[in-house]
Amino acid sequence: MSNSNQKSGGAPSTGHNWDGIEELTNPVPRWWIWSFYFTVVICIIYWIIYPAWPVGKSYTTGTFNDITYNVVNKDTGEVKEVTTHWNTRALLMADMQRGKEALKQKAYMDEVAKASFDDILSDPEKMAFARSLAKGIYGDNCAACHGTGGTGVVGLFPNLADDDWLWGGKVEQIQASIEQGRHGYMPDFKNTFNAEQLDAVTEYVLSLSGHAMDSKKVATGKRIFNGQEGGCYYCHTSKATGMISVGAANLTDSIWTIADVQGAASLEAKKASVKSVIANGVSRKMPAWSERLSANDIKLLSVYVHELGGGK
Amino acid sequence: MAHSMAAKAEYNYDIIKKFAAMAMVWGVLGMFVGFYAASELAFPILNFDNQYITFGRLRPVHTTLVIFGFGGSALFATSYYIVQRTCQARLHGTGLANFTFWGWQISVAAGVITYMLGYTQAREYAEFEWPIDLLITVTWVIYLYVFVMTLRQRSQPHIYVANWFFIAFILATAILHVFNNLAVPVDMFGMKSYSLFSGVQDAMTQWWYGHNAVGFFLTAAFLGMMYYFVPKQAGRPVYSYRLSVIHFWALVFLYMWVGGHHLHWTALPDWTSTLAATFSIILLMPSWGGMINGIMTMSGAWDKLRTDPVMRFLIVSLSFYGMSTFEGPMMALKSVNALSHYTDWTIGHVHSGALGWVAMVSFGSFYHMVPKLYNTKMYSEKLIFTHFWLATIGIVLYITAMWTSGIGQGLILRAFDSYGNLAYTFVESVSYLHGPYITRAIGGFLFVTGAAIMAYNLYMTAKQGKREAAEAAAAAA
Repeated sequence: MSNSNQKSGGAPSTGHNWDGIEELTNPVPRWWIWSFYFTVVICIIYWIIYPAWPVGKSYTTGTFNDITYNVVNKDTGEVKEVTTHWNTRALLMADMQRGKEALKQKAYMDEVAKASFDDILSDPEKMAFARSLAKGIYGDNCAACHGTGGTGVVGLFPNLADDDWLWGGKVEQIQASIEQGRHGYMPDFKNTFNAEQLDAVTEYVLSLSGHAMDSKKVATGKRIFNGQEGGCYYCHTSKATGMISVGAANLTDSIWTIADVQGAASLEAKKASVKSVIANGVSRKMPAWSERLSANDIKLLSVYVHELGGGK
Repeated sequence: MAHSMAAKAEYNYDIIKKFAAMAMVWGVLGMFVGFYAASELAFPILNFDNQYITFGRLRPVHTTLVIFGFGGSALFATSYYIVQRTCQARLHGTGLANFTFWGWQISVAAGVITYMLGYTQAREYAEFEWPIDLLITVTWVIYLYVFVMTLRQRSQPHIYVANWFFIAFILATAILHVFNNLAVPVDMFGMKSYSLFSGVQDAMTQWWYGHNAVGFFLTAAFLGMMYYFVPKQAGRPVYSYRLSVIHFWALVFLYMWVGGHHLHWTALPDWTSTLAATFSIILLMPSWGGMINGIMTMSGAWDKLRTDPVMRFLIVSLSFYGMSTFEGPMMALKSVNALSHYTDWTIGHVHSGALGWVAMVSFGSFYHMVPKLYNTKMYSEKLIFTHFWLATIGIVLYITAMWTSGIGQGLILRAFDSYGNLAYTFVESVSYLHGPYITRAIGGFLFVTGAAIMAYNLYMTAKQGKREAAEAAAAAA
């Protein structure tokens, strides 16, 4: 092995031998050493331009001193322009305030901020912007519960893509819902009604949406619904068409958000699901978004959600 | 040569056989867990709502099994083999060496069991809670002692380059392990502890450890493996002694600085970030030094690639080493990192190093070493070829899938539409990953299948060696 190194540049062995392994005295390849020096030079240039070496309690800030961004004084509201050396925070601020995309977005944003809902809804350009912006806001904030297409989950999260609006489907009403959040509440009746009463109210409620039910039970149910025994009409009204100020559902429109009536296979199953809601009550909460999203974002999100369900 | 033959009888091969066997056990198990965890990402239903096997718990089980179980045991085995053969001295302290075996195996087993039960320090590649950390520390100090004492008893004037890398690896790992795991236990009999550091200093300590785990555990140590098995298998002298000296010192000096590149664009000060990026760039050539020395050692023996599957493993491992040590400095640049960080590109990069370099060089080394340990030939050369192709195709599928998903993810998350708004929602970036995730799981499956074939092949080789030894003993009697 020691004399078989002609093809490796012909360098002789160092004379070491470990378990039969020898080492040749080939020099370090030129291209390797020059590439190594090249990387060192690149880095020295890098150190000169950017913040690099700690010095005492500070550091070398580099020669890149042209990042400009605005600082807003929280107390006075005064805006001051600051120019600083290269650093990631300033870079982020500058990009958020003056970046190409930020300026483009801001131009549209200023437009829609001034516009009324009617202006936005009637202007295709503003609507296109609203869709583009709110698609992201909706997808990142709302879709986790309401679904990417806004179809919700029966029993848990309202469907935003249908034609039924518990809290009102006008764009201003949607805006109020998003800003303040909502607490959909119905008391439970399991200690109020006995089995017969519960059965009768269930029969009546289903009869409202065109189901053929036992007429005697329906009559009893109607009496309980609209009387002191049940008091259902306080919220659902005596016509059972619901009341948007308290988020009470319209029971006559065949759209069910809590009892899974449309998903039930038989009339018995439908009854069971309605009965369960009456017995156990409802308590659903949507958080208020005014703290998390800007007023403008909520405004455009309202337009977007309004459009999901065809709007009112 | 006569001298070395005489010494050979005295070598402690028993400890090496034990470590090699456990390396294969943990390797196959760990790679399978990796394949399963990858499948969970593609098909979340595979979590089965079972807390013990959710992705979050299996992920550290996978990394611990493959890095410490497989990689660590392979390093113990090969370093004990190399230090004895290149020093022509028996391993110091048989009992102590056995202690390192049991200490290490118990740590790995205890680690993965506790992770599944939910105990973790939440420090990447250092998830072991404090009682296990203490056992690892004791084991590691004894490892250092055994290794250094063996070097001191060498019957060679010089210390072979492979052993420099092993010493650097053992020393650096000791320092990294101790400082990164400084923690205050909540009570004497509980597993929970809190890190001594907080905030950005905690993060920096973790990534100083994390990147040097890559640098010293997964790079320097495996270069030690390479420096012995490549010239041995090729039957050629090491290309350049001088290059080995220079790249060794450059590598061990530079690696220590670069951990901050895991924390670009975070609360880390900008100067720290710059230093990490620049030292990563300077690290490129020292990293390549090992690849050049390994590949140039092959010159004059290239024809072996046609016939020798073991040589193929070693050369492919060096190629992947070169590729991933180029990719690393590139990803350490702040502008590239802005796209690649928090995406699967990082996972792809790690695996081109872990599968392509670490695992492939270990496979090649084992195929060389295990038949020598049992004084026989490999049971089946055909199965080595099969393993080679399964592993290589598996890696290529894995890496290309992760480039696709990672770069795509990065581009999706930063895309704007014509109104200056973000073009995609987060969930759209997630659904984009589904295809690449399936491809990645297939790649992982091919890789673990190859490793299982290897385990079978090595097992049959050991059996064959024992039978031949028994027959020889019977013939002699």
